[in-house]
Amino acid sequence: MSNSLSVAQPRKRAPLWLWPLVWGALLLLSVVAMSAAEPLFRWIEPDARQVIYDRADFYVLLGRHLLVVGIAALVTVVVGVSAGIAVTRERGSDFLPLVGQLASLGQTFPPVAVLALAVPVLGFGTLPIIVALMLYGMLPIVRNTLAGLQAVDIDIKTAAHAMGMTPTQTLRYVELPLAAPVILAGIRTSVTINIATAALGATVGASNLGDPIISGIVNGNMAYVVQGALTIALLALTVDSLFELLQRQLRSRLSAP
Amino acid sequence: MSLLDALSTPRLRWDGRHPNTVLVSLSLIMLAAFWSLDVVSMAPNRIVQGTSYGALEALGWPGALLATLLLSFIGILAWQPSPRHYRALLAAVMTLMALMPVGLIASSYLLIDPELPQARLGLGAAYWVVLFVLLLCLIEIRLRLKLTRLWPTLLLCGVALVWWLCATLWLDSLALVQEFKARDRQFLRAIGQHVTLVGAAVSISVVVGLVLAMLMRRYARLQKSAFAVLNFLQTIPSLALFGLLLAPLAWLAANVPLLGQLGVSGIGTTPALIALIAYSLLPMVRNTYIALEEVSPDTLEAAKGMGMRAGQRFWQVRLPLALPVLLEGVRITTVQAIGLTAVAALIGAGGLGTFIFQGLGQAAMDMVLLGALPILMLALVVDAGLGALAEALRPGGTR
Repeated sequence: MSNSLSVAQPRKRAPLWLWPLVWGALLLLSVVAMSAAEPLFRWIEPDARQVIYDRADFYVLLGRHLLVVGIAALVTVVVGVSAGIAVTRERGSDFLPLVGQLASLGQTFPPVAVLALAVPVLGFGTLPIIVALMLYGMLPIVRNTLAGLQAVDIDIKTAAHAMGMTPTQTLRYVELPLAAPVILAGIRTSVTINIATAALGATVGASNLGDPIISGIVNGNMAYVVQGALTIALLALTVDSLFELLQRQLRSRLSAP
Repeated sequence: MSLLDALSTPRLRWDGRHPNTVLVSLSLIMLAAFWSLDVVSMAPNRIVQGTSYGALEALGWPGALLATLLLSFIGILAWQPSPRHYRALLAAVMTLMALMPVGLIASSYLLIDPELPQARLGLGAAYWVVLFVLLLCLIEIRLRLKLTRLWPTLLLCGVALVWWLCATLWLDSLALVQEFKARDRQFLRAIGQHVTLVGAAVSISVVVGLVLAMLMRRYARLQKSAFAVLNFLQTIPSLALFGLLLAPLAWLAANVPLLGQLGVSGIGTTPALIALIAYSLLPMVRNTYIALEEVSPDTLEAAKGMGMRAGQRFWQVRLPLALPVLLEGVRITTVQAIGLTAVAALIGAGGLGTFIFQGLGQAAMDMVLLGALPILMLALVVDAGLGALAEALRPGGTR
């Protein structure tokens, strides 16, 4: 969604792996060597007793952040894509309008509100934020799966049918590969949004990269906020550029003779 | 042949042979939830964990029977769908929603000991599940009856009125009502702050978005860099953006007296407003840009041929034609801003998020609900309202 316009730019000949490598290296650097930047953060917060967040190591926070986003993404992809496939089959087509509406309803629910409503049921900790991320990230995946599968040319499907393919084979060898770039774009949007949204989990006791931000806001320590925000932004850029790489490879494989 | 039939055939068969599987399964889900999950919970006071009660204990035999009958009625009617049955289904769903608070009144009589004035009734999982699935039924019925979004919204407003009446008149023991009564002034002020913040942020970003989109159309080089900046802004977590604005604004307020007098400060409304606008700009600019670009060149050519000047072409042709897509952008932006404003409570901007974070801090879940439910409702109402408006403004009417 957020990249629909930037994708259309003329292709530059930069090596494909350049940006993931650059962002990944910066991310690693910031996680491992945050304390080396102490003078810089001291300049931001000259009066604070401490300028480097040290209640947990940054790589631990990064790991937990990735775990939360990863689990949510895994569940969302499995549920979203299979729901998209199910309602575009003949037997499930009754559910098509409802699933489309439901997915867009999911993004209407603000993640903070979902998080708050999940806490009474699931308790404090990591589980509520995973649920909130799942609901919030469902729309792009379901929408793009539906769009991708519905955009497959009817003649191609008829040809597959005429070749004697069963519906399962048509799905596996014709529809899914053709819809894959669109579905992947949906997964990319969903994951990128959720990397930033996962920081909210720190407000309900899920320890992740949102922790330094919350603790910085509470203690009025800007340096903590910058550290958390920087790491999350670098993580988002790394993952986004990885998806870009994946999409380009998929596209070049599809257009190859 | 079966393959061709499966594709994009509108599934609106009125012949009555094809059961509406969606509504039938939704009805079964509700029945299962009603009988297996707890309907209400009762706690002697605010701190103690409540005990949960199932359908029979909470509503008694008559209430549970009535609810079961109505819930099965939905499934039975959906077995042989026809326009008349769908209208009856709509009535059944509305009746169920309107009866939900009555059920709560019944359980407050059945369960609460009159000697315990502090006792409070909490809504159980079954209540939430049934309410949510009823909303899904409403969406499905709306799609089958091809109603515009306006009607369900109006009906839901009626239901909300019934709930509000029941809550103020008879439901003193409901935990939510008690939380509300304990801080009703605060609550109303919080809603006011929330709506004001969202309204200010959205209206500013509509204007800025329109100007930016028009500049982008004129200067192609601006387009790339502006979208790059706006895309990057979205990768910064909202939480961090709020936090990051604290220090520079506090410094500005301290060192530039004029700004300080204008009410700019490190915490509170100013950083919240700036962050909200920063987040709102991307969806706003993107939709405005696409909306203006998508107007058919033939139409503009025709306008030119009719002798319209450039300004007239923009205001009388391009803008009105772009309006539905533009409104879509306003809808997305507003819904997003309603959620983000809740986060702004963390930096002292007030609004409904205050209750969420205070409640989470005190582990008082009813207070969390008091903040979260209105936010959810606000988002749904804005979503439905602006969606209906965009539908109505589409050239060629509502269909």
